[in-house]
Amino acid sequence: MKTTSELTDFYYKTLFPTLETLEEDRKKLRQKIIKVGVFYTFIVVLLSLVFLSSHINFDIIVFLLFAYIGIGLFIYKMLIKDYTKDFKHSVIEPLIKEIDRNLSYTPELCVREHTFTRSKLYKKHIDRFRGNDYVRGTIDGIDIEFSDIHAEYRSKNSKNKSWHTIFQGLFIVSDFHKHFKGETIVLPDNAQSTFGDLIGNWLQSNNFARDELVKMDNPEFEKEFVVYSNDQVEARYVLTHTLMQRLLIFKKRSGHPLGVSFIGGNIYIAIEYNKDLFEPSIFHSLLKYKIAMEYVSTLHLAIGIIEELKLNQKIWSKQ
Amino acid sequence: MSTPLIILIVLAIILVLMYNSLVAKKNQVDNIFASVDTQLKKRYDLIPNLVASVSKYMEHEKSILQEVTKLRADANKPNISDKQKIALDAQVTSALGSIMIAVENYPELKANENVMHLQSSLNEVEEQISAARRAYNQAVTDYNNAIEMIPTNFMANIMNYREKEVFVISEGERTNVDVKELFN
Repeated sequence: MKTTSELTDFYYKTLFPTLETLEEDRKKLRQKIIKVGVFYTFIVVLLSLVFLSSHINFDIIVFLLFAYIGIGLFIYKMLIKDYTKDFKHSVIEPLIKEIDRNLSYTPELCVREHTFTRSKLYKKHIDRFRGNDYVRGTIDGIDIEFSDIHAEYRSKNSKNKSWHTIFQGLFIVSDFHKHFKGETIVLPDNAQSTFGDLIGNWLQSNNFARDELVKMDNPEFEKEFVVYSNDQVEARYVLTHTLMQRLLIFKKRSGHPLGVSFIGGNIYIAIEYNKDLFEPSIFHSLLKYKIAMEYVSTLHLAIGIIEELKLNQKIWSKQ
Repeated sequence: MSTPLIILIVLAIILVLMYNSLVAKKNQVDNIFASVDTQLKKRYDLIPNLVASVSKYMEHEKSILQEVTKLRADANKPNISDKQKIALDAQVTSALGSIMIAVENYPELKANENVMHLQSSLNEVEEQISAARRAYNQAVTDYNNAIEMIPTNFMANIMNYREKEVFVISEGERTNVDVKELFN
């Protein structure tokens, strides 16, 4: 697979003419957004002054503020719609093809909700499930799919309903190279890092929402993750010393909380970025190194998972 | 309710919890040892095929083949203790490792489909045994901790629970076992 520096080269060299055109569009769009924003704010302020002059009420002010933000976001999304489409088509798609020709990219689709639920990484009931930037294909004979996902649940109190994020980030599904029947879930170790080893461990072993706690024989891995499984032996068959080491490296590289599960012959990986990935930047230049690196490294990380975790090593009986 | 009665009830609950946790830990060790046993049996079943496939070629390694056959026969004897099983496993691992290294010196063996299949089967069993051993060692550690630590050690003493041994593999043997590296 191509290295991140090779891909950054590709981004700047091969995509340069496209980036230049897009950069021009971006500048124009930015101007337009600022103009529309100022005009929209002016109208809202004017209308508010007319209405609120007679009866000032805290609830109405809050309502107006929410309406202002909501409608503003809607206008913003409408304004950037075409530009986003162009950007994904002319930057993200060529980057993916450059990494591997066998991958297909559909900006509007995402990994299916039932695939996400099947991973059992998040137990909360999902009320709203969205996503985009769906990539699917085969690398070295290994099926892989990933996309941006945003899963939320709704809470209701006496006054209003509000949405809460269950997971937002990159969700990857791939074949795993070993036969296994059980279910093994690896989650970030929040309990032990918050409450210390003794109480944290006690809390983890009494987590009734999960299967049995599996204590792993790698102190560094134990510090970062907590493992639950319905089969103590199989959990260790799947999580070998080498794989634990590789997952630690992968976590360090991604720099974000990581959840991994092994279910039904697949490996599911959820990386919490807490933002929508692969979206074009509107207020920063596309030619900025930091911006380019973000697209390149995120794609490299997702597609590189097969090489990184050596999922393509079919030295086991699973052919 | 009087205070002494409350103390008595709390004490009884603590004792029951301690007793149950010790029994659960002991059963966990036995349960996981059964998995180790199953995997070891799988490996012993592969040995005759392996010996049959390679013995024609391996004139110089006859002694290792004989040793591994003898170890298999010992392991299949009835009524051997868990301790003996652990010791035999270490020896078989080492002997199989030596055979696998020796296979490397015979190009015709390396290319033989039967041997290749055996290698990958052994490789997988080896990986499963390693997983079962690790699970067993963790269960034994939890159990040993419980029978050594205060206050469960008093209860364990009354119950006549004794420390159990873990699987120990020397670094040298570990390299031999790492058959998968040879196949890459």
